[in-house]
Amino acid sequence: MRIKKKHQAGAAKNFITRTQAVKKLQLSLADFRRICIFKGIYPRAPRSAKKANKGSTAPTTFYYTKDIQYLLHEPVIQKFRDHKIFARKLSRALGRGDVSDAKRLDENRPRYRLDLIVKERYPTFLDAVRDLDDALSMLFLFAAMPASDKVSARVTEDAEKLCNQWMAYVARERLLRKVFVSIKGVYYEAEVKGQEVVWLVPFKFPQNIPTDIDFRIMLTFLEFYTTLLQFVLYRLYANAGIVYPPKIDAAKVQGVGGISAYVMEGKREKESLLQTSTTKKAITESEMASRAQTISTVLNKITDHAAGDTIATLADDDDEEEVTETLDKFTALPSTDTVISDIIPQPDETSPEEIVKTLFSPFTFYVGREVPLEIVEFTILSLGGTVVSESVLDGYLHVDTDALPDAEEVDFDARQREVDALLKKVTHQICDRPALASRVPGRIYVQPQWVFDSLNRGRLVPVDEYAVGATLPPHLSPWGDGAGYDPEDIGKEEEGEESEEEDEEVEGDKEVEGDEEEIEVDEEEEDEEDEALQHQRELESEAKGIIYSSTASKKRKRADKKPKKSAEEKQAEEEKELRKIMMTNKQKKLYNQMQYGIQKKETRRETLKTKRRKLEKNKQNKKRVL
Amino acid sequence: MAKRKLAGAKKPAAKPQTSVQITGNQQGSKLENVPARAPRLLIEDEDEDNEDGDEDGYIDDEAEEAEDDELEYESDLEEYDDEDDVSEKFEGLLDGAISDSESEDEASDDASEGDGEEDDANEEVLHFGEDDENEEHEDEAEVIKNSVSDDDEEDEYLSKYSAASEAESLSSISSDQDDSRIAYYTTGAHGRPRPIYHEIDPHYSSDDSDLEDMNTIGNVPLSAYDEYPHIGYDINGKRIMRPATGSALDSLLDSIEVPEGWTGLIDKESGADLKLTKDELELVKKIQLGENAGDVNPYENTIEWFSSKTEIMALSAAPEPKRRFVPSRHEAKRIMKIVKAIREGRIVPNKPKVRPEDEQPVYDLWADDLQEQQPHVMHIPAPKLAKPTNDESYNPPEEYLPSEEEINAWNETDAMDRERDYLPRKYSSLRTVPRYEDFVRERFERSLDLYLAPRVRKNKLNIDPDSLLPKLPSPQDLRPFPIKCSVTYRGHKGRVRAVSIDSSGLWLATGGDDGTVRIWEVLTGREIWKATVGDDDEAVQSVEWNPVKDSGILAVSAGEKIFLCLPPIFDDETEVTGQELLAAGWGYAAQPAPVEHINKEQHCKWIKPSTKLASQGVDVVIVCRKTVKQIAWHRRGDYFTGVSPEGANMAVLVHQVSKHNTQSPFRKSKGIIQRAQFHPFKPMLYVATQRYVRIYDLSTQSLTKALQPGARWLSSFDIHPQGDNVITGSYDKRVTWHDLDLSTKPYRTLRYHTRAVRDVRFHTRLPLFCSASDDGYINVFHGTVYDDLLRNPLLVPLKVLKGHTVVQSLGVLKVAWHPKEAWLFSVGADGTAKLWTS
Repeated sequence: MRIKKKHQAGAAKNFITRTQAVKKLQLSLADFRRICIFKGIYPRAPRSAKKANKGSTAPTTFYYTKDIQYLLHEPVIQKFRDHKIFARKLSRALGRGDVSDAKRLDENRPRYRLDLIVKERYPTFLDAVRDLDDALSMLFLFAAMPASDKVSARVTEDAEKLCNQWMAYVARERLLRKVFVSIKGVYYEAEVKGQEVVWLVPFKFPQNIPTDIDFRIMLTFLEFYTTLLQFVLYRLYANAGIVYPPKIDAAKVQGVGGISAYVMEGKREKESLLQTSTTKKAITESEMASRAQTISTVLNKITDHAAGDTIATLADDDDEEEVTETLDKFTALPSTDTVISDIIPQPDETSPEEIVKTLFSPFTFYVGREVPLEIVEFTILSLGGTVVSESVLDGYLHVDTDALPDAEEVDFDARQREVDALLKKVTHQICDRPALASRVPGRIYVQPQWVFDSLNRGRLVPVDEYAVGATLPPHLSPWGDGAGYDPEDIGKEEEGEESEEEDEEVEGDKEVEGDEEEIEVDEEEEDEEDEALQHQRELESEAKGIIYSSTASKKRKRADKKPKKSAEEKQAEEEKELRKIMMTNKQKKLYNQMQYGIQKKETRRETLKTKRRKLEKNKQNKKRVL
Repeated sequence: MAKRKLAGAKKPAAKPQTSVQITGNQQGSKLENVPARAPRLLIEDEDEDNEDGDEDGYIDDEAEEAEDDELEYESDLEEYDDEDDVSEKFEGLLDGAISDSESEDEASDDASEGDGEEDDANEEVLHFGEDDENEEHEDEAEVIKNSVSDDDEEDEYLSKYSAASEAESLSSISSDQDDSRIAYYTTGAHGRPRPIYHEIDPHYSSDDSDLEDMNTIGNVPLSAYDEYPHIGYDINGKRIMRPATGSALDSLLDSIEVPEGWTGLIDKESGADLKLTKDELELVKKIQLGENAGDVNPYENTIEWFSSKTEIMALSAAPEPKRRFVPSRHEAKRIMKIVKAIREGRIVPNKPKVRPEDEQPVYDLWADDLQEQQPHVMHIPAPKLAKPTNDESYNPPEEYLPSEEEINAWNETDAMDRERDYLPRKYSSLRTVPRYEDFVRERFERSLDLYLAPRVRKNKLNIDPDSLLPKLPSPQDLRPFPIKCSVTYRGHKGRVRAVSIDSSGLWLATGGDDGTVRIWEVLTGREIWKATVGDDDEAVQSVEWNPVKDSGILAVSAGEKIFLCLPPIFDDETEVTGQELLAAGWGYAAQPAPVEHINKEQHCKWIKPSTKLASQGVDVVIVCRKTVKQIAWHRRGDYFTGVSPEGANMAVLVHQVSKHNTQSPFRKSKGIIQRAQFHPFKPMLYVATQRYVRIYDLSTQSLTKALQPGARWLSSFDIHPQGDNVITGSYDKRVTWHDLDLSTKPYRTLRYHTRAVRDVRFHTRLPLFCSASDDGYINVFHGTVYDDLLRNPLLVPLKVLKGHTVVQSLGVLKVAWHPKEAWLFSVGADGTAKLWTS
């Protein structure tokens, strides 16, 4: 038999320390980090660090050896090496003051592309969509960040562009499923190709940038994420039949920017644009005959926006198409003796998802200028609504004529007329002010939370709770609570209990808190004690002048309740305890671990419940006082 | 370069003049043969003063002019020096070329006169023959001047200079030379008459250099004329008078007081004496010497324009090639190509730069539409971030808001240890929500986690924890077993340590720390009999009924003594048989001990009890050496063992009732013996030491097996009625079940007591066993042992009997099963015995 040497197989071969990996790849640590980020290579925790580290127990980072092995042939690594040489040449040229040489070098600097890495990491499209969470969150962060010496303006611009393209797509396809406004930012969940994509968008404020953050790392991630999202968007747009990249309407960029500026152009339309352009023009001219041509074009743009921008209008077009494209129903023939036919489940138009998609389609929302437009607009458009923004209209009506580049004459009257016509359509006004000076009759005034809650519930929630200046109902996470505590359920329970027995809350609390695990034998004694106590209480209450019978009856009721609840439970619990005796040590440990988690959740739930009860009670007391 | 040459040429002419001139100036008197000119060079007034209409005036003017010119030169040349290196080089070349030939002077002269016109070349040739040597001297300076002027661009200067030189030459001709030497005049290049001289005939008279006044005294020393006023004679024989001597001059000078800075000159403007300081004088002197007045290093290193080094490339005189003048056809072709490309739009001039990043094409990366595959086994995808919960909401339900203590606790805990990285907050409306301070940091930390955190696959058991519980038959199906306490026997003071039930199941015997043995009626709980056996409150350690039916013998151990009693509770028949049994031994004891025991010390003594004890029903007393902690009867009731843990090799003694005999089975100490018990039906003795349970075969007198329960300190053990299984209890809270057919190691080790296990006991008939512990609980188990050897025993926990109170951290001390029913008797430190019934 051959003698087996130590550390020649198994974990010692499978894992490689970081230092070894860097040496093997002949890279600097910074380049190694970059390639790891690009390729998605991460350290592993081997089962036995000692075995992996050839007997040493020093703390080390381990990589999977094959990961590193594959990296040896990575073309991007070669580009890194080229870049090193380039940097050396450039610095030499600059040191000599050889400007033209330096310029030439800089123009021909080695560049790498990450598309193949994207494909390698995500072999199928769904893989890529599944992993979009982090990419989107990072891009939205950089889109909201100011350009600085560390983050170039180009990076933030690109990020913003991609983010807007993503939102434009989600809004057009009506894929948004959940919105949650948290203290950190706004969480969105969209269902793209059957995958849940959740991302976090910061509020539009200048970000606090801590000094100890290494932006090189974040920028490396951003570089990869940018490439990833570009390709994903291309595919999504292509599948939806839209031209990518979407055109940007310059006029709207000046107005508000954001997703409204994106013209989602169908591929078919583009092809037929050449033929139909003349006829279309004729139609528009005839329509706008009364107006000056220049004004009409500008107006057209704005009305587009006001009518929920091009996305919405296009969506309307789609609706027309949809009429013809309604799904055929596969109705099963009635089963006979010979032929048995199953009923095939059909996509239901009345399913909650479908309802959500057109939840706001009959409505036009007038969004006040104090409301963060990008959140509300995105949500409303995703639900099929139409948005009229106060800030955009302001800009439209009160244009500073001197500031206009071309000396077009602005017909303010015409504009005013246009806007008035638009405002007539408004059904809801979203308003975030303590009070309103004047109200337009026929409009429903709501706070922005109404939009979010309606989406999360999948139905139009009653507006009276969200009226202007009203105290808002709590905004709950659509993903629920981690501990399994549902504040709404508690509320219902509470109401039920209250109707039954109002005054018993405190006692109920005691009951819950009291130790249920009581010894049978002791119980008798306790009962005796209870009786003594009861007698004492009786005497006291009599002294106070309260008729005892009422409290006594309650007591009895409770006493009836208690054994009913505990008899079976107790036995089951006891049996459980006994069975635990027969568990092996391993099982026991596992079981206890599980119990720890369960217990933690349970205690959290309990504390929340008790807090809630206390709050309710305080409220009621206040009411009574009033 | 040129300047230096010029300066060098000029100097020798200037020197003699200046040296004389200074003396002349200082004298203030005009001497005959000394032409004083230099001071006048600067100040015209003096010229006027000294103007006596003699030749000197002319000379002065001429010199003055020359000097002026020279100065101008210098300044001009300085400029020139700096400005144009090429022309300087060229000039140098020219100079070199000139110096080559003898006729250079003439050539340059002609060049100067003819203003460099080409025609001069012909004349030059003409003049070669006519050249006069006398003129050479005079012309030398001119040559150089002209060579310089050739190069100089300043027309003004040129014209001025040429005019001056013209006048000079003319005047010199007219004054110095007689007309006889001139052969004729021709018209020069400048259009003026130009004298052409005769050819010089070099005979004696032609040289008139010695026509001057000369002292003709020959070889006579001058000292010979010391006495005379003259110093010699001229060529005509006239006396040459002695010039004024220094002494006369000195005396004159001494008589005059010269004020400092006195020059003897009068300032033209002010009319006062012109005074010059030392420095100014120095400057004037320098100027006179033609030296540099400024701070110029006159001795700079020479630059060797022409060196001995041979150049690689020879200066070629080859004619310029044609290609230098004719436009290239190839270039034209290329240009036309470009022009064409521009016209066709293939090249866009001044095209705006495209960012290379924008050039990267975006295409359908997943066009191949691969089927989704299982990811590699070793791939561990990054976990997604947890979804936000209600407490992260900007407007959470109020119960989520932290209380004061929670906020304080959150602030005090380290950021790493916090459960959540934020505190829930409530904002009344969306517009009041501020930015989140740690947004960037959280993103950053997420990225760090993604590439830096070691990943490990953790199998999250998504199972119901209850599924981990073993599947066991319900206790309800395994009845009967003791459930509740039905009788409590009170009476003992202090702990009750021993309990035993007689074979009929009617009489319960207990013994306690108060030194009494009590017998109770099982069903009623009435104390029937009581005997105080222990002297000086010695605790009763063990109480055991004789297993033989109707013998009525109770063995009690207290201190070092074992008492065999016959409690007076049975009928007479039983009493009689018991007395007979006990009394039979006295006869044996009277006989001499067996041979092997003679030499040895007696293990213990069998004695008759005192009258007091006898009156209480004690019939036999066995006195041992150490405290007897436990007694165990053999099933036949003749033998019993007594265990005294401190007894070393005599820790286990086997007593025979019928013969009043005691044997010590072990020669050596086996350690601290805890318990000893006979096999239910085989001739075997089980002895529990601190760690092991040893099984001895009594027939072969050998050790058959040693069980290793794995406990630190065994407290008790019991043998299953079928004899193949053993349970042990230990002070380290363990209960083990040993299957003797399987292994010496336990089949199951159970840990459910929270304190030391005091006693374990099998039921003799039913498949029940129990363990009693210091935590005050008794755990009752169902334990079926199957005849099939392949099936493991079935252990089912049935019930936890809770009733005994823990006193001084001691709980239940001993248990005993009812011989027939599923009843259990237990005694504890709380001074009670309890009956547990089903």
